[in-house]
Amino acid sequence: MPPRASKRKSAPPNSSSVTSSDGRSVSNKAKTKGMDKIDRLFNTYANSSLGMIDPEGIEALCSDLGVDYTDVRILMLAWKLKAEKQGYFTQDEWQTGLKALGVDSLTKLKKALPELEKEVEEPSNYEDFYIYAFQYCLTEEKQKSVDIESICELLNLVLGVQFRPQVDSLVEYLKVQNDYKVINADQWINFLRFCKEQISFPDLENYDATQAWPLILDNFVEWMREKQS
Amino acid sequence: MSAQKKKAFQIEAFKHRVVVDPKYAEKTWKILEHAIHEIYNHNASGLSFEELYRNAYNMVLHKFGEKLYSGLVTTMTSHLKEISNSVEAAQGGLFLDELNRKWAEHNKAMQMIRDILMYMDRTFIPNTHKTPVHELGLNLWRDVVIHSYAIQSRLQAILFENVRRERSGEVIDRGLMRSITKMLMDLGPSVYQDDFEKHFLEVSADFYRLESQEFIESCDCGEYLKKAERRLNEEIERVSHYMDARSEVRITNVVEKEMIENHMHRLVQMENSGLVNMIVDEKYEDLGRMYCLFRRVPNGLVLVRDVMTSYIRDTGKQLVTDPERLKDPVDFVQHLLDLKDKYDKIITSAFSNDKTFQNALNSSFEYFINLTSRSPEFISLFVDDKLRKGLRGVTEEDVELVLDKVMMLFRYLQEKDIFEKYYKQHLAKRLLSGKTVSEDAERSLIVKLKTECGYQFTSKLEGMFTDMKTSQDTMQGFHASQDVDIADGPMLSVQVLTTGSWPTQPITTCNLPAEIMGICEKFRNYYLGTHTGRRLSWQTNMGTADLKATFGKGQKHELNVSTYQMCVLMLFNNTDRLSYKEIEQATEIPVSDLKRCLQSLACVKGKNVLRKEPMSKDIADTDTFLFNDKFTSKFFKVKIGTVAAQRESEPENQETRQRVEEDRKPQIEAAIVRIMKARRVLDHNNIVAEVTKQLQSRFLPNPVVIKKRIESLIEREFLERDKVHHLLTLYLFFELEKDNARLDFQLLNSEVSSRQLLYHTRELCYANASISTSSNMIYKVPSFCHSVHIEAVTGVLFRLDAGNREEYCEVVRNSIAVGFVGCRRSLVTAMPFPSSIMQSLEAVKIGTLPESWLKRRFKVGSLES
Repeated sequence: MPPRASKRKSAPPNSSSVTSSDGRSVSNKAKTKGMDKIDRLFNTYANSSLGMIDPEGIEALCSDLGVDYTDVRILMLAWKLKAEKQGYFTQDEWQTGLKALGVDSLTKLKKALPELEKEVEEPSNYEDFYIYAFQYCLTEEKQKSVDIESICELLNLVLGVQFRPQVDSLVEYLKVQNDYKVINADQWINFLRFCKEQISFPDLENYDATQAWPLILDNFVEWMREKQS
Repeated sequence: MSAQKKKAFQIEAFKHRVVVDPKYAEKTWKILEHAIHEIYNHNASGLSFEELYRNAYNMVLHKFGEKLYSGLVTTMTSHLKEISNSVEAAQGGLFLDELNRKWAEHNKAMQMIRDILMYMDRTFIPNTHKTPVHELGLNLWRDVVIHSYAIQSRLQAILFENVRRERSGEVIDRGLMRSITKMLMDLGPSVYQDDFEKHFLEVSADFYRLESQEFIESCDCGEYLKKAERRLNEEIERVSHYMDARSEVRITNVVEKEMIENHMHRLVQMENSGLVNMIVDEKYEDLGRMYCLFRRVPNGLVLVRDVMTSYIRDTGKQLVTDPERLKDPVDFVQHLLDLKDKYDKIITSAFSNDKTFQNALNSSFEYFINLTSRSPEFISLFVDDKLRKGLRGVTEEDVELVLDKVMMLFRYLQEKDIFEKYYKQHLAKRLLSGKTVSEDAERSLIVKLKTECGYQFTSKLEGMFTDMKTSQDTMQGFHASQDVDIADGPMLSVQVLTTGSWPTQPITTCNLPAEIMGICEKFRNYYLGTHTGRRLSWQTNMGTADLKATFGKGQKHELNVSTYQMCVLMLFNNTDRLSYKEIEQATEIPVSDLKRCLQSLACVKGKNVLRKEPMSKDIADTDTFLFNDKFTSKFFKVKIGTVAAQRESEPENQETRQRVEEDRKPQIEAAIVRIMKARRVLDHNNIVAEVTKQLQSRFLPNPVVIKKRIESLIEREFLERDKVHHLLTLYLFFELEKDNARLDFQLLNSEVSSRQLLYHTRELCYANASISTSSNMIYKVPSFCHSVHIEAVTGVLFRLDAGNREEYCEVVRNSIAVGFVGCRRSLVTAMPFPSSIMQSLEAVKIGTLPESWLKRRFKVGSLES
């Protein structure tokens, strides 16, 4: 999906990219000043020995922002920052992310959150965010799948608002079934597609199990149909 | 005279005035008319045809043709009216005779009249486009005689009455009938059709409708068909006797429709005599008749075929789901074969070998044979039984016949891989116990399997035969080397089996008696002396032994027992009484095996060389066993307990299934990758279809399982969903180069995942890539250091032939020498041929290898003493 990839590359001003060096030449001073403020904000929350914001720092940030740290907006912030590791923001991530948001203080960041929410909900960003949410949960080296419990929470978090009935049923199913203990990226992305693709819900009449849907969705649909009949 | 002579004469036409007599035409016509009257009155002998012809000629010449023609029409019409009247007047049966006679007369008259009026026929009629004389005669006959009201209906009624009489068995004048229908045909096809055939068909339809109704109420199916066939033949005969040949199709259609088509469902399903009963009672004649008759009507054969198919399926289904039947596998398969023979015979003798019927039969068998998952096992058991004893003393041709039949059943199996699994087990037991009837028959079947399923299917089976042969040579060498001291001690016969070729069985050990241990050690030393670096382990659970035993009153017997039983009996050399626990401790035979062997030693009447206290059928941990002094048998040789293959118990069956399912996974994945390599982009349903097609010669993969494999491949990043049509298309992510050398390079220099390498290695095997490429791949395995490679390595090894194995081993030995210590373990675990590699390993650091998996390499079966 080229548009998504290019968007992801060009949207955040990269320090080495042409645009940012141009920007620096135009208002180098203002930029540096902004950077200072961003860095200062970073240092407020950072764990000085690690050189990055750790889970405690994020918790502090959340309480300062007045949102729960399990709030979806924090996940969105992590997405915007392109945070690599769950529970941590590096200085680089913080700088580029906040710059992209155009904020340099806590109050501005707080105000930017609703904007961020809108940005995420744009169709072109949503899938990216959705996939990011999964990858964000891969905390171990070479981990490729996420346990069912976390997946259920994550589903509630990222899909709950838009597709409440689907998510409720799916979560219920995931908790009762015994075939799968973990969910992989392919299954995860297909959950979103299942919700988005106008599969009539809850009767699921136009769902075709002979298609390439992951087996877990076939099983889910079968479970739903059984439950209804 | 001379002047006169000189005068040239001119010859001129004789000039006379042609006097046109105004009454000429009238007069001439009168003559002709008179002649016509005379002709009709049979007085033609007095007429001068020459004169009449001239008159007619002159009339035409003098332009009185019109008068002549119209005069003819009038005269003929009036005569025909007379005829018509006379025919009408004829009474009853004479009617047809009269009509026939008059028709003959009319024909004759017409002949003469036409001769007289020949000139008119030739010149006047064509010029004025009038009807020629002969045709005119026919037309007038048709209009005036045949179509006269009184005659037309009467004629039909009489004709049909005659047919009816004939149908009911009376004899009628067929010649007369023939003349009349001939007349109708002469009058033109439309006259025949409209005046006769059309009504005839209608009347016949009514007749047969009634008759078939009557028959079907009163007859059974076979009888009905006989009658229908007879009727059909009668009609065909009738047509040949007195009807137009073209009527045959039409009248047979009527009979077919009324007698067969309208009743075919009822006939086929007729209670107690329908198709199913005919099949059950093997009424080939009736079946053949049904086939011939039903073939004539649309959908007739389809109906017969459908009913037959559903019958075969139902009975087949009952057969394979009958728990009683499933108790005796040999009988079960024999029953299937008998069934097949029976249906084959029906199709050859009654259904004229109809291809569509054969196909229906085959698909039905395929359907129900695969209804029970035990079929592959049972067919293998059947073969086992035949090759053990069933074919003893049977001629070579008959053996081939039986084997061919088995192959036919084998073809119906969808799960051929399961058959292979069982066949391997059963063959192993046959070979090891030396119970096979004929090696030729064994080999013949393997050749058949190879033709059917290809080299891969039988390569391991052939490996087993090779092992047997090699073992014979080894034993000869061994005995030759052992010279003197052999005579007193036990005789040992060992079969050295290559791991991998033989079915894997859990190694169960037991404590062999000291006497046996000694000779076993000798063999071990001999064998390892000639084959350095190999590993031997004893498969005591598969051996047999012959024991010489002396009982209380001095009676001697030779006991043929299993190795386990031998171990138990040898204990009683030193004591008369042992408890179960003592035996268990002394021999260390696994509990279930020990109980089974004690049961056959102590609880089988006539073979109870041991006594058990307390007496009971089952072995308990608290039982005590005594040497049975009073053992007697009328035979010198006593055979105790058999290792004959038996049907698996339910849990064993489940286990085998599970193993097969596991074996299938890589096969399905390989098929998917093969397909995706070729197609690059393919939608889900097509992948499933192609995978099924590729694998159906071995088994029928379940679509859900295929889906699972696809998902697994996606997860392992071999495949990818198409980014746009994520449900429709899959796309091979890891692109393999065709150029293997380049690929090697690429693999070494890129961070491919271990799984990808595994996959690639396996792919190479399937693609029959050159050995150096495959072994080079394996050479690189250590650098990736993942246990997943074991699978791939093993996969490659199993597909190498002997020459390549050596080459491969060389590569691996080098890699070990180079020091991929971290990977040694997985490599060695995967090695089926570790002779040289083991040496290298020992050289490096043998102590670090766990004993448990070094042991696993070789199995030795059949221990005799």
